Parts: sequence; structure tokens; C-alpha cells
Amino acid sequence: MRPADNPFASHRVDSLSYRFIGPDVGDLLDALARHGGRGAVVGRHGSGKTTLLDTLEQHLGGAVVRARLDTGTARRADHVLHRLPAALGPGHAVLLDGAEQLGWWGWRQVSRATATAGRLVIASHRPGRLPTLHQCRTSPTLLAELVRELDPATADAVDLDDLFRRHRGNLRLCFRELYDLHSRG
Amino acid sequence: MNDLRIDLDGDRRWYLPGDTVTGRAVWRLDADPEAVELRLFWHTRGKGTEDVEVVDQVRTEAAGAAGERAFALRLPLGPYSFSGTLITLSWALELVALPGGELERVELVVAPTPVEVRLTSLGRQPRSHSVSFGPKAGFDRSDR
Repeated sequence: MRPADNPFASHRVDSLSYRFIGPDVGDLLDALARHGGRGAVVGRHGSGKTTLLDTLEQHLGGAVVRARLDTGTARRADHVLHRLPAALGPGHAVLLDGAEQLGWWGWRQVSRATATAGRLVIASHRPGRLPTLHQCRTSPTLLAELVRELDPATADAVDLDDLFRRHRGNLRLCFRELYDLHSRG
Repeated sequence: MNDLRIDLDGDRRWYLPGDTVTGRAVWRLDADPEAVELRLFWHTRGKGTEDVEVVDQVRTEAAGAAGERAFALRLPLGPYSFSGTLITLSWALELVALPGGELERVELVVAPTPVEVRLTSLGRQPRSHSVSFGPKAGFDRSDR
């Protein structure tokens, strides 16, 4: 199977929408407004934080600035600061993924540089830096629902409960294993 | 109803690296676009992060709701269209009406042959030869 045709290729996985359990995106925006336009989405690896930021971006008005920090080279505050426009104002929303990568000093730099932005939402593994707007959680039921959307045959053929357990609820790792399963034919 | 079309000369889809892609971009839109842009690019899809590079583009400002434009875009010498285990690299032409973003896409094969290059796994390395001497050759556990 060609990688582009694999039902678990990243472009297909990334096209999945975030599944809210309980509150929806409207509630999230309300909570953001209540906290003065500052807040965090919190969750473990592969729990849908980036997907939720994607959803949020579609619903935020004005100019949106996205930045992502990861464990590789892009973990310094400079990586975020370089992306910010010179005149960051009330019409701007900044969405920062991987905020847990910043140390105390880096977070202070980013926090000060984004102080004039109308909204700042961070995604982080841990709560604490900003008020938690939403906790991202996964479950075997959620995995089954997403796999069924991508490829119903796989949902019927694979023990998804076991997959979920082995990857400790990290859906991205589950999808990668399913990709490998399909690429081997 | 918006209609965007890319007509390639000779209805070609396969090009050699370094070839020139020629044809006409045609658009019939409900409203005047700011501009119409034709992009020649490659992109990857597969297990990891997607990658994309626009190698050439032709922008028509104040294009009007209906129009057409001939184009000739030179392909670079690489990369080839290919599929491996982790990614597929595909070439495409895209006609986009701005700022709305309506688009038409045509996939191309850019390779020495009419189909994309397939990269196959090398598989397991062959074991090194072992040499046996004497009566152990053909040794059977039941002989013990």
C-alpha cells in the first residue's frame, strides 16, 4: 500500500475533528472570555490537544498566531518570540502548543511578549501556568470511534482495547501502529 | 457555480524531470476574485509530518470572474515522484481563486518512467555463511 493511501497516514489522522465529551467549543470560548482571554488546554501525549487547538483556531476571530514547541530543536522561547508580529494587539490570538517545554525564564519571556494579545491559549501536559479551560482525555471508546471513521474494517479486525492499553491512551501512537500494520499489507 | 480547470497540453500526466509543463488555466467564478494563482508543487504524505514545496507559481491579479491563461512551468530535476514505506512524494498543479480558496488540483508523475518510483525495503541482510566440518553436518537431535 502506498503511504499516501494508508488510512492511518498523518494527513488523514490530522483531518479528524476533536471530539468533545460534555462541553463544546462554545463553552470553551466562554471560559476563555471569563478568564480574560487567557487559558490552557491540558492533557497527556496523544490526547488531542493539538487537534483541539486546530478546532479553536477555526472559531477564533481576528488574526491567529500559531507556535509549537517540541522536544527537539524547537523548545526555546525564541522559537515563539520570532513568530509574534511586532504589533501584537487585542485583535490577535496566540495559540501555543507544547508550553510545558518552556522553563521558568522562557515562560516569563513568552508571557510578557504576548501580554498585549487579545487571547492566549496554551496546550500543556500539566496544569498550572494558565487557568485550565479544558482537560483532554482519551478512552477505548473514543479510539474505536476514530478508527471506525478512518477505516471501518480495521475497527472490526483489531483488538483496539489492547492497542489502547499498550500505548497507555496515547492515540497518536495507536494510529502509528495501525499505519505500520497497513503498510506491511 | 465556481468552476476551475487545468487543461494540460496533450492531456499529459507524466513528465520527465526538467520537462516544461504547459497548458491553460481556466476559471468561471460567481464573483470577481482578488487573484487567481497557479502553483506547481510537491508534497509528501504518509506516517510523519507532511512536507510541501512550491517550486513555481503564476499569479494573475484582478483576474475577472471568467478567464483563462496559458502557462509554461519548468520542472526541476528532482525530487522524483515516489512511494516508500514511510512517505509518498507526489507532484501536483493547483489552481486557486483568492481569497476564497476554491481550488482545482491535478496530480502529476515526475519520474524517468510513467509510474512513480517504488522504493522497496532491503529486507533482512543475508546470514553469513557458516562452514561445518566432519560428521556434524546433518546433525540430528535424535542422534544424541
